[in-house]
Amino acid sequence: MRKILVANRGEIAVRIIRACRDLQIAPVAVYSACDRTARHVRMADEAVPIGGNRPADSYLRIDRIVEAARITGADGVHPGYGFLAEHAGFAAACRDAGLVFIGPPAEAIALMGSKTAARRAAAAAGAPIVPGTDDPLGADVGEPAIAAAAERIGYPVMIKAVAGGGGKGMRVVERPDDLASAVRAARSEAGAAFGDSAIYLERRLVRPRHIEVQLLADAYGTVVPFVERECSVQRRHQKVVEESPSPAVLPGLRSQLTAAAARIAASVGYVNAGTIEFLVDGTGAFFFLEMNTRLQVEHPVTEMVTGIDLVEWQIRIARGDRLTIDPAAAATPRGHAVECRVYAEDPDAGFMPSPGAITALRAPAGPGIRDDSAAETGGEVPIFYDPLISKLVAWGSDRPQATARMRRALAEYDVRGVRTTIGFFRWLLDQPEFAAASFHTEYLDELLQQRRGTPFSAVDLSLEEVAVAAAAIYAAGRRTDAGPRRGGSGSAWTQQARTDGVRG
Amino acid sequence: MIVDVEIDGRARRAEVERRGAVWQVTIDGRALQVAAAAVDGRWSILIAHRDARRGAAGDEAPADDGGGVASAWRSYEVTVETDGGRHIVHVDGRPVPLAIADRRARTRRVRGEAHAAPGVQGAVVAPMPGRIVKVLVEPGQTVAARQGVVVVEAMKMENELRAPRAGTVAAVHVTEGMSVEAHAVLMVIE
Repeated sequence: MRKILVANRGEIAVRIIRACRDLQIAPVAVYSACDRTARHVRMADEAVPIGGNRPADSYLRIDRIVEAARITGADGVHPGYGFLAEHAGFAAACRDAGLVFIGPPAEAIALMGSKTAARRAAAAAGAPIVPGTDDPLGADVGEPAIAAAAERIGYPVMIKAVAGGGGKGMRVVERPDDLASAVRAARSEAGAAFGDSAIYLERRLVRPRHIEVQLLADAYGTVVPFVERECSVQRRHQKVVEESPSPAVLPGLRSQLTAAAARIAASVGYVNAGTIEFLVDGTGAFFFLEMNTRLQVEHPVTEMVTGIDLVEWQIRIARGDRLTIDPAAAATPRGHAVECRVYAEDPDAGFMPSPGAITALRAPAGPGIRDDSAAETGGEVPIFYDPLISKLVAWGSDRPQATARMRRALAEYDVRGVRTTIGFFRWLLDQPEFAAASFHTEYLDELLQQRRGTPFSAVDLSLEEVAVAAAAIYAAGRRTDAGPRRGGSGSAWTQQARTDGVRG
Repeated sequence: MIVDVEIDGRARRAEVERRGAVWQVTIDGRALQVAAAAVDGRWSILIAHRDARRGAAGDEAPADDGGGVASAWRSYEVTVETDGGRHIVHVDGRPVPLAIADRRARTRRVRGEAHAAPGVQGAVVAPMPGRIVKVLVEPGQTVAARQGVVVVEAMKMENELRAPRAGTVAAVHVTEGMSVEAHAVLMVIE
């Protein structure tokens, strides 16, 4: 494989381009109008504009992406995550155009993309599944049948979209009286969001942990599962902090999880990278939740505790290499890694997206710190896409050291021009439950509710005094044009003030 | 020079006087010796320890090579970010939102909409294009700092914007159903 088209943007496009460079494969970037000056475009050897800013006009345009691969002579296409990564039609279109799709076969994407079919496949492979309905409940299934199913499963019950995933389009129903209206609403939302209004029901487990198993499978039937990731710190079903290994998983459970994951993948003829997600309850019982047939956002924590480059292996598997990874090495963690997803969101305003120009950015570094990002000073966080600034990862020889390093790195991270969740993460890492790793998937939502909107930017008085002094000098410099010396000469405060005045 | 700063709903008054390479900043009666030097948009702020012994040239800058150790200073990295009519002073990575009283209040009219400018400190500003879903307050109403004042739908989510300060709703520029552009002033709290 000599040339790969990266069918994505932002940090994951940068990540894939780096793997291409490591393998001396030429990367091709595609970009929407507002991404013309994005980092991933400059890092690639070639770049092809593919349309307007909205994903539907560019990064979701299968025809344009396949055409871009054709005119650049790319051999392979890497879909990243999100966008078309789990679109079976895209995988098929690449295959039909003679391109190597760097991911699983289109049939595996389609199978696991139907959450009910995935549950059946997992059950057939002998994995425990969350008690629920086996078949999709389409528009033809009436309320009495659904109510009966809910009774069988037991309340509280979750309504989920068959064509959904990634934590989107889910509803909890606590009481039978609420079921009918919740089903109506869920069907309507699913139809609008995923183009398929079919739903299914699952028992809602009480305070489970979200534990997932990364795996790689080659084209020759070898499946290698990796040490698990814990992703229980979620805000409204969206992952916010991930780590590996899970502090709650002992070697015995790890063997069971990895074996179950490998069996499921093998049973559906899976190839390339994928992740099996499980829910683990308080007794250590685990249940298959869903399978993600793509590289995941949080893959760096697995790379940090195993030393294995997952993206590089995705490319190698796609070009026909055999997996030569020692399964024991993949399933045994070395040290501990934690990842914080730094988003351009304002945690003091309900985590509202904060798009705009990044006026300054300085990422942390030093021992054990990895920052996967496409953001830079002068860059933009566009309004059209996920406002992810970076994935900040800290590795340590144990969890306390990893956490200490993450704290250090968060304190060093300087981003201005947009609001970020950095202050929120600094607060979160100080919570006693975080240090004790005593969380579950509802932990963060409950904690945030308790805060009742108390700002994360609350500051102690000693820092406040410094801030006031600095602000006063800043203002004085602005007014009198006699700012502090710049290392002995000049008037840099005033320059700053003038720049600010022009921008205002 | 007197600079009034509003921080976390409280007023702080600072008197600022330049003495050679060092500023004397007196906040609520407490005097600080502050040295400030800039490096590419970041400031190295040094504040003399309160009980520092001073040499004969008491106001010498920290970098002087007079030989020997003159004094130790508390060290901070500070950056100043503008945020509409307010500022965020980052002190060692911790953001401190505040407002500096500024006598020069300007507004510009661009395409018929008022846009936020330094001096309009109580403005509630749309961070991105969106649609007004619900206006939660009315002119003349008293609001607390951070109280929800308007709900804007953007990027497929509803976002509740909050009052940047406690005060009275002076003007509401939007109605439910309106579309707004990024940086549009939605209402003003005085």
